[in-house]
Amino acid sequence: MEKPAEKKKKKPSKSDSGSGSGFEFWKWAIASIIFRLILIYFPKNLNLASRPEISTPLTSLRRLAEGYWLKELSMSPYSGSMYHGSPLLLSILGPLTVKRLEGQPNHLLCSLVSVIADSISAMLIHGIGQRLQGAYCRNLRSLGLWEPFEGALPSGDLAALVYLWNPFTIVTCVGYNTSPIENLFVLLSLYGACTGLAPVAAFGWVVATHLSLYPAVLIIPIILLLAYGLDAPPRKLFLQKLSQKAGSDSSSDGHPESVEAQSTPFSLRPVLIFTFWSLLWATYILVLCGISLKMSGSLWEMFERTYGFILTVKDLSPNIGVLWYFFAEVFEFFRNFFLIVCHANILFMILPLAIRLYHRPCFLAFVYMAISSILKSYPSVGDSALYLALLALFANELAEMQFSFFLFCGYVGVSVLSPVMHNLWIWRGTGNANFYFATAMAYACFQVVLVVESVSSMLNHDRRIRKLSTSTKA
Amino acid sequence: MAENDEPVKPQPRPIIRIGLFLMSHSLLVSLVCCTAGIIALLLLPVLAKNTYISENALIPGSASPMLSNIDVSEASRFVDKLLSIDSSSVSIDSSSVSIGIEIRRLMAEHISALGAEVNYHKFRSQLNRFHPLQFFASPDPGNIQENFSCSSYAINTVGIIRAPRGDGKEAIVLVTPYNSVKITTGEALSLGIGYSVFSLLTRVTWLAKDIIWLASDSQHGEYAAVAAWLREYHTPSFGGLGKLPSEICHEPSNLSDWKTDAVVETRISDTIRRAGTMAAALVIKVADSSSDFEKDSLSIYAEASNGQMPNLDLVNIVNYLAVHGQGLRVKVEKMQSFLNSWWLRGLGGLFESLGKLARSLNPQWSFGISIADYVEGCATLASSLYNQALGVPTGPHGAFRDYQVDALTMEISRQLSQTYGNRQNEFLMQGGRLVEGIIRSVNNLLEKFHQSFFLYLLTSSNRFVSVGVYMIAFALLVAPLPMVAASLFSDASKLNPVEDQPMAGHVEKPVIKFGSWKWLHAAKTVFIVHFWGALMILVPYFYSHIPKSSAVTSLSIWITLSVISLLLLHLNLGSSGISNSQPQRTEWAYLKSVTIAAAFIGLCLMSVINFATAEIGALLLVPMCLMAVPLRLKVRTLRTSLQIVCYLVLTFLGFPPVAFYVLKGALNGFDNISIGEFWTWMEALWEWSSATYVYICLVHLPCWVLCILTLLHPC
Repeated sequence: MEKPAEKKKKKPSKSDSGSGSGFEFWKWAIASIIFRLILIYFPKNLNLASRPEISTPLTSLRRLAEGYWLKELSMSPYSGSMYHGSPLLLSILGPLTVKRLEGQPNHLLCSLVSVIADSISAMLIHGIGQRLQGAYCRNLRSLGLWEPFEGALPSGDLAALVYLWNPFTIVTCVGYNTSPIENLFVLLSLYGACTGLAPVAAFGWVVATHLSLYPAVLIIPIILLLAYGLDAPPRKLFLQKLSQKAGSDSSSDGHPESVEAQSTPFSLRPVLIFTFWSLLWATYILVLCGISLKMSGSLWEMFERTYGFILTVKDLSPNIGVLWYFFAEVFEFFRNFFLIVCHANILFMILPLAIRLYHRPCFLAFVYMAISSILKSYPSVGDSALYLALLALFANELAEMQFSFFLFCGYVGVSVLSPVMHNLWIWRGTGNANFYFATAMAYACFQVVLVVESVSSMLNHDRRIRKLSTSTKA
Repeated sequence: MAENDEPVKPQPRPIIRIGLFLMSHSLLVSLVCCTAGIIALLLLPVLAKNTYISENALIPGSASPMLSNIDVSEASRFVDKLLSIDSSSVSIDSSSVSIGIEIRRLMAEHISALGAEVNYHKFRSQLNRFHPLQFFASPDPGNIQENFSCSSYAINTVGIIRAPRGDGKEAIVLVTPYNSVKITTGEALSLGIGYSVFSLLTRVTWLAKDIIWLASDSQHGEYAAVAAWLREYHTPSFGGLGKLPSEICHEPSNLSDWKTDAVVETRISDTIRRAGTMAAALVIKVADSSSDFEKDSLSIYAEASNGQMPNLDLVNIVNYLAVHGQGLRVKVEKMQSFLNSWWLRGLGGLFESLGKLARSLNPQWSFGISIADYVEGCATLASSLYNQALGVPTGPHGAFRDYQVDALTMEISRQLSQTYGNRQNEFLMQGGRLVEGIIRSVNNLLEKFHQSFFLYLLTSSNRFVSVGVYMIAFALLVAPLPMVAASLFSDASKLNPVEDQPMAGHVEKPVIKFGSWKWLHAAKTVFIVHFWGALMILVPYFYSHIPKSSAVTSLSIWITLSVISLLLLHLNLGSSGISNSQPQRTEWAYLKSVTIAAAFIGLCLMSVINFATAEIGALLLVPMCLMAVPLRLKVRTLRTSLQIVCYLVLTFLGFPPVAFYVLKGALNGFDNISIGEFWTWMEALWEWSSATYVYICLVHLPCWVLCILTLLHPC
């Protein structure tokens, strides 16, 4: 299962040179969707829906079905601590969980929704990638460097294929949970921000936050994207270039206007539009939630049972994160203190990263997503699927990333060891919780190394561009 | 970050420096590690510790046995009746079915007379079906809708005593397998032991756990009978579904024909009766043939599927009570061919003299063991390793482990030489008291067995090697793999960027070289080969559909199929990327490095699933992977030629069938080896859903193919 990870990475690398890369892309994209459709016919054998790596208490559709059933009995869907998701998902997906097609497996409709969500997500990634690539070429040109570097990959195609063929995405898609939908809204907000469509960005952001809370940190990259435009080399370079141009030959040649465009200061208008639309969408969503909970519960209960459940880490059943073990061990007396510490960890990193990477908002979004996937209270492999796809958007910038092989082996190793350790602990009874937690820690470490290495190689890339652009002036 | 101090290379972090140091000396380090790993493996019998009973609640042997002569003589009469049924009814109507019915009737009568509950469990023999990932699945209920014939039915007899002091939530299981078609004296005696203990336990007041006595009908195999009963015990069937088979094949003679009185008949139910969760299970067998030792002896079989063992405490109680309580001689299976091997003797002598030397230096160092002990320890260890590595349970107790019940088989060998009559009572007394002691001890348990080890190897009945010790040998053996992979990888990536320099001295076009992603091409090859391995796992599915053929033809079909599929896969997926600009010289290094990384992950994974397989696999795989060099390497020194020769030998030995035949020949002599033997061995592995089969197809064989690819690499 782990191996397609390689396939997806080198298929596009072949297609980069030829003119038929578009065809190649569509071929592989459609193949991945067909593969998913085949897999959703056999989920009984795979039994993925009950794996802790794939469905968490927040995303499990089996819990959603339970909540729907409670709601149908006009009880609060949140009673009994089974369901912790949004009431809107309950209204949309709930009927699908009970609807049966004759002669088909009974989760077919929900799985189809996941497949559709995945394919839309891939298209959004494709779009983001094309825009990023365009901006990348434009920036290099305006810096007086050559056309795109030779051997550059079409990062949009690559990232979309990485998303589609990533085994993590596939098992998440087949595994009967809501992660594909959450990922879809995260990507929608990024796409909206990349294309400058503030209402779309606001919608995606509000819904993603509503569904899983952690995407709330994306507000910084989205605002940066809307205000400054797409990822670019550090702004200082453009200013230097501009002053050089102005000094040496009174702006006769080159592309002064594009340089000008890149060094535009903070533009407030799209941000204000974004704020307005976010407020609007948030109100709308809350009203909808209120309506759907009118019979059986209250909005306050919803906040308590969704966000409260996320923030207080109530469910300590094992998952691939590190918090469950920690809070199972910690004394009750210190629990609140450590809750604050753990959640503040994410918040502490937001600002420094934003300052250091503010010229690359999309990359910043990747870093935020990766960090929240490490420190989340109920992480699943669906989160990794999302940030790995975002990482692939920067394939060209990260071409010289260190430890790629090591990280790859680590991801493969952890993803095969983790189910075995879980089995040893839960089913065979010969192992214990430490066995499983060891793989969770290793997984967290690999993610940390991935973030550190990718950020440092991104900064190295910026340095290299600076060196090249300063050397060309001489 | 200032621009002028760029040429100063940053000092890497200490952990990376350690890594770099190890990588630069990888040859030496890997040689040392591999040797140390093999030595550590050979040292295991020396490092073994004496067993001890870890759970305090068990207190074995603290109460004096209550099994009296009356119970024993009752049981003896019971045995005589069983044996007379066999001889009498064969002469009357010679139908094997009626013997079974008679035996069942007799048992049911006796059990009911004791005041316990009886029920029959009807099951049909189920063919072992291959399930590649059974390891990950919880035990499946098995579907009943398959086609079946009525003749394949067998019936277990189950007796249950409800504990007077218990809450009915826990139970201890006694299993006595017998063949209802032809009952042997040994089987009758084991039923007798079961009966004597059972009759005692209906009267005692201290019982806190229910007792289940399963007289399993082993006409379709001992394991199948127990497994079928366990499956039904653990999967409650609602509605009429569970009864379906018995209704279809209602044999007229079966249930209505009993010549029992009405009182008994009402107490026998045909639906399965349950007691609580099982705390432990004992399988009692009596071996007919006796050894040439004076005392009766007891053999313990503990290996369940995929090398799982029962908790060491259970083995300890049995061992303790048998040795100290009943004066039995306890044996664990040994590899006979190891017992008289000269090199083990030599090693044993070496270790003994080393131990003596150490003791003369410091009297507190006492780790030496005698030559005989060492050789015996090695033989037991080898058999323990082999049985665990096979992943096939060594007896009916294996079925219990799938439900996390600790179980083992006790095979009591009986002396035939003495006069029989009195001897039978004595034998029943001995066996009965042993079983009583074990049950009394397990009865004290407050929790599941959890104190002692689950992961261990036995070097004799009272010595064991725990996971913490044997893992060292394995870790030393596989430690070179990541190191060599890393050093090859870094060498290859250092070789490549020859044209990296011009970037600094600004040439025309900077090129994105994806320097750190060069391994992707090799990874693709490795992926294709492993994917092929995964396809090969599924071949048995198709074999079950084609008619039976001989082992040799099956083997040849398999080989042709695998070669064709490998070639097809390679042509379809692998060929397109070959015309790559990257230098061929480094390509094999990448390939080898990725292969080694894959082998490392596979071995580590297997060591968690089934340690013994991983250990044996590592002995074969590690040297082969480490030595891999292309045949057409340009630089020919003495070292590389030597390496190539070694490598060719190792690759030849690493091919699974060759390894099998060589090992088999070395242990049993080369005279009686047929080609089909390997196939039957593999077939047995997949019929038992052994993880070893998955390992061979998914790790060993692909790595072997990749080593061959490296060997043939055009460089």
